Amino acid sequence: MAYVSMGEAHRRITEYLNRFCDAVSYQDSSMLCRLLSFSSNSPSLLSLADALNVFQDASSLIRQSDKFSEYGEILAHLFRSLQSYRVGNLVEAYLAFEKFANAFVQEFRNWESAWALEALYVVCYEVRILAEKADKELTSNGKSPEKLKAAGSLLMKVFGVLAGKGPKRVGALYVTCQLFKTYFKLGTVNLCRSVIRSIETARIFDFEEFPRRDKVTYMYYTGRLEVFNENFPAADTKLSYALQHCNPKRERNIRMILKYLIPVKLSLGVIPKDELLQKYNLHEYMNVVQALRKGDLRLLRHALQEHEDRFLRSGVYLVLEKLELQVYQRLMKKIYIIQKLSDPARAHQLKLEVIAKALRWLEIDMDLDEVECIMTILIYKNLVKGYLAHKSKVVVLSKQDPFPKLNGKPVGS
Amino acid sequence: MNRRSRGSSSSSGSVGGASDSCRRRSDVPRNRNNDNNKGGDSADVSFIVGTCSSMCPERERVTRERLRDLSVFERLHGNPTKSSSDLAVKKFCRTLSAADVQASDVRPLPVLEETLRYLLSLMDSREHPFEVVHDFIFDRTRSVRQDLSIQNLASERVIHLYEEIVKFHVISRQRLQSCSGASISSMHHLNMEQLAKTLTTLYNIYDVNRKPDYIYENEAEFRSLYVLLHLNTSSGVMGEPLSLWFRKLTSNLIKSKEMCFVRKLLRSYRNGNYRSFLRTTASEATYLQYCISEPHIREMRSFAVECINNVCYKLQPYPLLRLSQNLMMKELDVESLCHECGLEIRTDSDGCIVLPTKQTSFCRPKEGFKNYDLIGIEVESLLCEDT
Repeated sequence: MAYVSMGEAHRRITEYLNRFCDAVSYQDSSMLCRLLSFSSNSPSLLSLADALNVFQDASSLIRQSDKFSEYGEILAHLFRSLQSYRVGNLVEAYLAFEKFANAFVQEFRNWESAWALEALYVVCYEVRILAEKADKELTSNGKSPEKLKAAGSLLMKVFGVLAGKGPKRVGALYVTCQLFKTYFKLGTVNLCRSVIRSIETARIFDFEEFPRRDKVTYMYYTGRLEVFNENFPAADTKLSYALQHCNPKRERNIRMILKYLIPVKLSLGVIPKDELLQKYNLHEYMNVVQALRKGDLRLLRHALQEHEDRFLRSGVYLVLEKLELQVYQRLMKKIYIIQKLSDPARAHQLKLEVIAKALRWLEIDMDLDEVECIMTILIYKNLVKGYLAHKSKVVVLSKQDPFPKLNGKPVGS
Repeated sequence: MNRRSRGSSSSSGSVGGASDSCRRRSDVPRNRNNDNNKGGDSADVSFIVGTCSSMCPERERVTRERLRDLSVFERLHGNPTKSSSDLAVKKFCRTLSAADVQASDVRPLPVLEETLRYLLSLMDSREHPFEVVHDFIFDRTRSVRQDLSIQNLASERVIHLYEEIVKFHVISRQRLQSCSGASISSMHHLNMEQLAKTLTTLYNIYDVNRKPDYIYENEAEFRSLYVLLHLNTSSGVMGEPLSLWFRKLTSNLIKSKEMCFVRKLLRSYRNGNYRSFLRTTASEATYLQYCISEPHIREMRSFAVECINNVCYKLQPYPLLRLSQNLMMKELDVESLCHECGLEIRTDSDGCIVLPTKQTSFCRPKEGFKNYDLIGIEVESLLCEDT
């Protein structure tokens, strides 16, 4: 921490106080944003923090002037938070920031127009980020992390403030997205339900009115929820929306969307091009896609094992596992095509013995009972059209379209 | 499902009392051994330390004797107005506010251990029908859990208690199947409900104060039960989608034998592979895993019958013997299952019993909790292995 003289400290604090009050008086939202953005670690904020730690009694400065004391409570908490933040007391920093945020939101309510919305966004963002840092500190000290949960409650309050008829309501989606990020991090995604219901059913909200960036983020998270709940058509709609409307320059965001959209599309029988996977660095899906194209069950299982940790963490593992049936379908189709070349008249009869042999060739050992079981399921789920003559140990394929495509519908629906 | 929060909203007010609702006190981590309570947090209330030295607080016993509110197990020589400190066990009480709870009403850990041991010894009692035994132990173990929760106890000994209680619920589940009576089905339902709640609490305790990369001796098996209770993603017994739940497991847990087993089952189940599902269960399930899988075994078998009826060649009816081998059931049980599914069976010209296919009368059988045996698994011997 740099050495600061008392005089210099006094100067810096007063400068900040002036900037803050002017920003509010002149409704200068972008100035206000800069003044509140702790996580930017801007030199001016850091130097202010140093000054506060030297001066120690900023409250007296605030009280001295009418101009400053109007926002006395807000500023006192803000300063305390910044001081703690600077010296690495993140739990204290969070607690003070929370108080600041509460006071700020009260003021915000009183401002009639929505001029300070961007600043409010910054406050919400900082609340969440500080809470995450505070929780890390708590865990490393052997205590229970609870600040992010508290941040969630605060954000809900802010949501409530914005959920009204006035112009401030367009901010509600941003706050919703902050809530999503919070709940996803906490693992309490069921809490998303109530805020989703508000956004989607309350008459004051018109989805199209919200800023594009927020709509994309919203669809990304609600799309992910659909993936967790395995509603693939809904997941497809939402994630595709996010993809279409996402800024093409934001490659990292596109990659995040694709990470979830690809397994969904695969479940609906739509296979992405390799170029897409390469462009966005989604190598983990390459073997999965290849396995689907070639009917290679061994490759699918291998791919799942190789990236097991990654797929489990992102929550797509179970979705990918279910692709097995489609891989079997492709394998049957290959056998059929090969048979057609050598003996067209009998091609539509798939002997269980032949299927077992093909699987053995893929290093998968399966007895005829299980082969029969798999074929039964494939036919039942309409991945294969035909019937099973179990006594003759053969599957008789339908002459027309024996391997129907999924056409955008998940298997077995 | 982050239950690590201090739940400052739950202060000392509506304590563990209200059965085992979401805000269980035992969610709160224990800092009692390392007194690091750095001031600050106002939610750092100190928890009651129980002092009741018998299985039932004296004043409760006296009250219940007077009101003739003694279970058959608590009566001294069958006298409905007299009990003793060896027989009376504290009852579960739904509404408890912190103001009413005195330390003398709460049993400390050693007494709770003794209480549970006593309760579980009653499982083999032949004097009374099992429903009566179950009812008593069900209620009294709930009270044990309540005392644990009020005191915010969470150590390895406590883990052992919860694990034993889970086992009780599972064994009860099996034994209730051979009981009859109007109330059995609601008993079963309540039993499963408490099983889920006990598991939830157990998981929280596993998580509290965990050393990195450490898993408790039986943790993998008890965690695996969660998966088995949620094979069907739409059934919300404990509410969280499986994909989300897996995200939080440590690497050790995921790679454990028990987890690999249930994941294999999960894969078979979701792909409809009844062969693999049944075979894997028969060869690898522990007693607890088998019991919890039973509804799904039933489900997979009905599904298999449905598929076979649907896809097999009409002119080649499916021999019941083969079906019984595929479904790992006795032939008589297969017949029964087919009837439950609304399907007829016939005897063909060679005298073999067969299932004619493409019958249009198939219907999913009603959800019962009685199950057919799984051939290839000796359930009772599994129980002996585990205990």
